[in-house]
Amino acid sequence: MLRLPAVSRAIAGVAHSKTCLAPSNNFRTSVRASSNMVEVFVDGKPVMVEPGTTVLQACEKVGVQIPRFCFHERLSVAGNCRMCLVEIERAPKPVAACAMPVMKGWNILTNSEKTRKAREGVMEFLLANHPLDCPICDQGGECDLQDQSMMFGADRSRFTEGKRAVEDKNIGPLIKTIMTRCIQCTRCVRFASEIAGVEDLGTTGRGNSMQIGTYVEKMFMSELSGNVIDVCPVGALTSKPYAFTARPWETRKTESIDVMDAVGSNIVVSTRGGEVMRVMPRLNEEVNEEWISDKTRFSYDGLKRQRLTQPMVKDASGQLVTTSWEDVLTRVAGVLQSVQGNEVAAIAGGMVDAEALVALKDLLNRLDSDNLCTEEVFPMAGAGTDMRSNYLLNSRIAGIEECDVLLLIGTNPRYEAPLFNARIRKSWLHNELQVALVGHEVDLSYSYNHLGDSTQVLKDIAAGTHPFCEVLAQAKRPVVVVGSTTLQRADGAAILNAVSTIAQNARASSGVEEGWKVLNVLHRVASQVAALDLGYKPGVEAIRNAPPKVLFLLGADGGCITRQDLPKDSFIIYQGHHGDVGAPMADIILPGAAYTEKNGTYVNTEGRAQQTRVAVTAPGMAREDWRIIRAVSELAGVTLPYDSVAEVRDRLAEVAPNLVRYDDVEQANYFKQANELAQTVDQTLLAEPLIPPQVSVKDFYMTDPISRASQTMAKCVKAVTEGADAIEEPAIC
Amino acid sequence: MAEYVNLVRRAVGQLTGHGGVRGLLLQFFRANDIKTGALVGVDKYGNKYFEDNRYFFGRHRWVIYTTEMNGKRTLWDVDGSMVPAEWHRWLHCMTDDPPTTHPPVPKKFLAEVHQINVSGSAEQYYPYSTTRKKIHEWVPSKAGDQ
Repeated sequence: MLRLPAVSRAIAGVAHSKTCLAPSNNFRTSVRASSNMVEVFVDGKPVMVEPGTTVLQACEKVGVQIPRFCFHERLSVAGNCRMCLVEIERAPKPVAACAMPVMKGWNILTNSEKTRKAREGVMEFLLANHPLDCPICDQGGECDLQDQSMMFGADRSRFTEGKRAVEDKNIGPLIKTIMTRCIQCTRCVRFASEIAGVEDLGTTGRGNSMQIGTYVEKMFMSELSGNVIDVCPVGALTSKPYAFTARPWETRKTESIDVMDAVGSNIVVSTRGGEVMRVMPRLNEEVNEEWISDKTRFSYDGLKRQRLTQPMVKDASGQLVTTSWEDVLTRVAGVLQSVQGNEVAAIAGGMVDAEALVALKDLLNRLDSDNLCTEEVFPMAGAGTDMRSNYLLNSRIAGIEECDVLLLIGTNPRYEAPLFNARIRKSWLHNELQVALVGHEVDLSYSYNHLGDSTQVLKDIAAGTHPFCEVLAQAKRPVVVVGSTTLQRADGAAILNAVSTIAQNARASSGVEEGWKVLNVLHRVASQVAALDLGYKPGVEAIRNAPPKVLFLLGADGGCITRQDLPKDSFIIYQGHHGDVGAPMADIILPGAAYTEKNGTYVNTEGRAQQTRVAVTAPGMAREDWRIIRAVSELAGVTLPYDSVAEVRDRLAEVAPNLVRYDDVEQANYFKQANELAQTVDQTLLAEPLIPPQVSVKDFYMTDPISRASQTMAKCVKAVTEGADAIEEPAIC
Repeated sequence: MAEYVNLVRRAVGQLTGHGGVRGLLLQFFRANDIKTGALVGVDKYGNKYFEDNRYFFGRHRWVIYTTEMNGKRTLWDVDGSMVPAEWHRWLHCMTDDPPTTHPPVPKKFLAEVHQINVSGSAEQYYPYSTTRKKIHEWVPSKAGDQ
């Protein structure tokens, strides 16, 4: 705008007199009135910032981007790349903008001769040891060094010496290292130690012989390890499965949602020619910030294997053979027409979208059946799923940053919800969050108070006799998180009763305001909250007790019902996208679409509705799930009243309006009433210890049909059990 | 005059030489022609080979295909590749000696049973793909295995 500060300020003053026309200036003056702000100038433009703000942040405030390599907003400041050097007026030498706090009255010159010369010099030093292999580098096209050398680098070379070369390291089957390209920004080291919480990466040597590595030959063992690929500003750390497969400018990006866990991370699916090339994170401060877990990022090759692409039917010899849609649809419709009422039942799996769930529920309800279950169990005694607050992560993922005492019960968030665990770690690191765990002792990447793994501890805390109760009583904003798998035990209702009593007591003793939620349930599958919102019954106990004649499996691959649980003549219909556990026992297979192939609504464990978008078309004859159910309904003579996805969502809104309020968390309440109802349950806690299903890192990688079909995930499991050397890699890699 | 009588005789011969009205219509619709000639020979599949040198060169030898060959019904669905190699030589005037009078020299590359061309049918040859499949479909296990 205006370079002259005096004139600019005068104009700002004029604007101030017309407050109704310039509300932003009004805001600025009110800030100016509070005396703890300092005024600095960026290229002569005045800006009010809080004391302690760095030069780089002050420049960002007026919209001036300073080039940087080592600085990352979510990591600590290192200040070692020197790319952000800027001139300060009347300062003897340029300062590193990322590390230098501003002083009152400084004039930061971001585009002066001295600044440009400093940047050019730094860039020359960086490029002195950087290989000129952009044409074969996987970072090419999205490389910070490439972009910034075009913007700020010199236009000619004075370099005649030889380049330094560094040996590549094998740090596992996910991350490819080309260490010669490394510019020692140490972003990956800081990411590993601060966000991921594993001190695996570090630097050795100094000056020209400085290297990033793991000190000894070992894997970079973290469930968030893939994020160092995004964090790396150059091509030193790239994705091994993605190596040499695509270029960023030739892929089509689709913003979508991840369904590998119940967090619902926001992702970008890069596709080329009808094939998913990679999955990258998308910024959402409320959910995943800018990280995603390794399962989310690398299991996409599971979408290309073991797929159901053709409708199948079992022939006379019991062999599944491919057939046409007309054939299977008429068969399914015929079978559905031949049974009455509760002789037909349905089980929904963990990756089903809300559209398919509501269509299936409407179809079965029209056939006078209400036997609709989810694979995941939830105790129905007491309030059960009638109170929505009973099954949600009520205090939200971002809410963890506000709490001061966190009690985890029977869960291992590190592997059940890695991004949730990253939040806990962030809060533990920056807000001095106290964490306690009742359950199996696991490595959560932060220190916590292990209270034991027996249910007796729960009973003691609920009764107020446990020493931890004092800590809980001191808490200003307590949060209690119980893992959904713990509630799937035989004594789930008793555990829920104990947990909600603990939460209710902690709430009463903390005297926290009305809106603060204490009780949280951490789910592990993406479809569960939507299914419960739509009125599915949790658990297949009802089906096991009264086996139906016709069983409709909607993506049910958990293996909670087998052929042996059902009478011999029962008829199983499987609809889903992978031939995993459900498909082999089916009589008819209807090929559905995976989460990258449909517009679907998923509700994460906080109750936040988000939608996936079509990135690629479903393979072969596979179709969107709700469309298949709609076609079956028409042939069965109970036509469902919707033809487009918009109409299905209208129906969703009728049943549960929160399912179509996207990116919005629908709050739940009535904790007290739920607790009172839970106390009416007459169930005793079993003596068995509380052990979550995913204890170590090898249990993390393969948990669902997609990741079980993924070769990358299989390699990860092999690498963590047998060591990184067990994985055979192609010679040129 | 005699010329015209001859012509009429040939015409009558062509009309009556196929075994009645039924035979005539069958011949007409199968071969689009009702010409008659000397039966030179019948191969082992039942294809009949005729010759009439009054027709000009190229139309003077022809074949009436058999109605069933190698288990395939060929009443209407005939194909030039039904002619076996030894008759192919004579039919295409590579030689004037039919295999009936001059049996072919046995060669090991000559097929024992002549195969009809399968192009356009389900058994036709597909070149194998050299590109990687983008999607690998699930193959159900065999019924006996589980």
